[in-house]
Amino acid sequence: MGVIDFLMQGFQTAIQPENLFFAFIGVLIGTAVGVLPGIGPMSGVALLIPVTATLTGGMEPSAAATSSIILLAGVYYGAMYGGSTTSILLNTPGESSSVVTTLDGYQMAKQGRAGSALSIAAIGSFAAGIVSVIGLALLANPLSEMALRFGPAEYFSLMLLGLAAVSGLAGGSITKAWMMTVTGMLLATIGIDAVSGVARFTYEIPVLFGGLEFLTVAVGLFALGEVFKTILHKEDDQERVAKVGRVIPSKTDLKESAGPIARGSILGFFIGVLPGAGATLASFFSYIAEKKLSKTPEKFGKGAIAGVAAPESANNAASGGAMIPLLTLGIPGSGTTAILMGALIMYNVQPGPLLFSDHPDVAWGLIASMFIGNLMLLVLNMPLVKVFAKIIETPPKFLLPIIIAISVFGVYAVQVTTFDLYLLIGFGLAGYLLAKNDYPLAPLVLGLVLGPMIENNMRRALTTSNGDFMVFIQNPISAIFLVCSVLWILIPFLLKLKGKNVVVNVEG
Amino acid sequence: MNTGSFDRYASVIFALVGAAFLFESRNIATSAYGSEVGPNVFPFLLGLILILLSVKLFLESLKSIHNKNKNREKLMIKRFLIILIASILYASLLETIGYLISTFIFLFLSFQTMEKGGWIKNALVAGTFSFCVYFLFVVVLKGSLPGLPIWFS
Repeated sequence: MGVIDFLMQGFQTAIQPENLFFAFIGVLIGTAVGVLPGIGPMSGVALLIPVTATLTGGMEPSAAATSSIILLAGVYYGAMYGGSTTSILLNTPGESSSVVTTLDGYQMAKQGRAGSALSIAAIGSFAAGIVSVIGLALLANPLSEMALRFGPAEYFSLMLLGLAAVSGLAGGSITKAWMMTVTGMLLATIGIDAVSGVARFTYEIPVLFGGLEFLTVAVGLFALGEVFKTILHKEDDQERVAKVGRVIPSKTDLKESAGPIARGSILGFFIGVLPGAGATLASFFSYIAEKKLSKTPEKFGKGAIAGVAAPESANNAASGGAMIPLLTLGIPGSGTTAILMGALIMYNVQPGPLLFSDHPDVAWGLIASMFIGNLMLLVLNMPLVKVFAKIIETPPKFLLPIIIAISVFGVYAVQVTTFDLYLLIGFGLAGYLLAKNDYPLAPLVLGLVLGPMIENNMRRALTTSNGDFMVFIQNPISAIFLVCSVLWILIPFLLKLKGKNVVVNVEG
Repeated sequence: MNTGSFDRYASVIFALVGAAFLFESRNIATSAYGSEVGPNVFPFLLGLILILLSVKLFLESLKSIHNKNKNREKLMIKRFLIILIASILYASLLETIGYLISTFIFLFLSFQTMEKGGWIKNALVAGTFSFCVYFLFVVVLKGSLPGLPIWFS
């Protein structure tokens, strides 16, 4: 069967009424989450895993996995889009990937053109979504076929490369990023060892035998950590929300932004495919590129529509591109995709090359639903922009305690132990303290998800080589991956020594 | 932002965590059947790496100590502590007094802590939230949550 057949089958899965419903709910909640201050895509997706788990509770496992991943992916790109709304209307980016949007977006809002900025952002996101779906459909098969030939040694090195990429770009201090990664992997070793069946670090405590639940850790670190931060640091400056104005973009606006949208989408997609790079870099680069290409670069920063269109398309395309390493190689390139991966594993669906042969309905259903989800995002956002602008004004007084209550409910509904609730609060505190002191949290979650897989592959490779560590270097593909990961660590380090500023990705 | 002093404490704590894993991994069986690499190797290596990274962080933190940040942001410690303790109590009482009552009390208390006043509105929001979640989850989706206190039903 060709790609077209698979994609058609994917569409059949995606347009089933319940999946359409899930995509709709996902996009809707995602946009709301993106608009709300304090919760970004990462905490939004983490917070909704338990909700989707209960929503899909009565379905058969494979269908449940498809539906919930469709919903969660909807939340992901919905939140990416929602983040731009606050950038434009409030001058406060919802997440780091829409920081660049504030430069021209807020200026446009000041000039009373907020409506066209918002709609161009929606159109750009839609175009970018289409580009990334096409790219995904084209690249998925060849990549997963290549990855199928990988043995444990190649996998080990490839995952190490993934970790190196994310940790190397994760924040201010590379040491801190690596510490978080290693801590994540260490936490993952708690519980019954999957290979030998030996209990590790459990001390006869029954709740520890299953290991620390990924969901509890993620919700605690991201959602609760963020809530604690907002409770402690009161924000006095209630900025005024700009008026939305005319929503339909004018013809000149459309004409001016067509090029930037196309370029931003393609550039963003390829940056998104690279592990660790992600949406923030994508939006940043595309803005710079547009400014260089433009005939009137002096307009940028003063409300140029290209300065909204390009980064918005780029960051959405990047979030689509980030799905490629996740689905085909089983390696999440960012914090949010790591959480999506954790959700898939919860449903016993292992992302990776086998996904396309074992669960084609999940993989292609997701790809097709991203297309539908992007369409929904466009249809939903043009008329509802004003409603979403209202959501910004939700008083934090109600919002913050309710987020705590939803976290507690979500974790308890899935885990049904009080122990996990204490763990949740503990990780919330840790998340606040670590994030406040510039310790990036995404690598920790990545380590937690990838840790067991890295360990299994390492041990399988070492078992075949009788404990000889040289197997990772003697194998040519594995050696290439290892060299790449070493370079990924060394190059920023060397640049820093030279006193150059390294572009850092703070996105999840 | 100056994170020097926090980094020093953190590096010690992370080193201790690493050491604990390193030390405790020696108590795990050293070999798995048919393999030379037992379940102890991976945590042992990671523990070692974590200790080394902590040392590196400690050294880095010594450099950044001098530039002390004077104008500290005022933190809302009291508000935070009340909500934190309320969350812990909420977690521990959830199973005994049931979801409906514990959630209502927790939300109401937190709303009041965040901003005094508006009793009726706060109670209404708290009540609606706990009832709606319970209704949707238990009645519509047939999930299981401890609804009311054990002695009540």
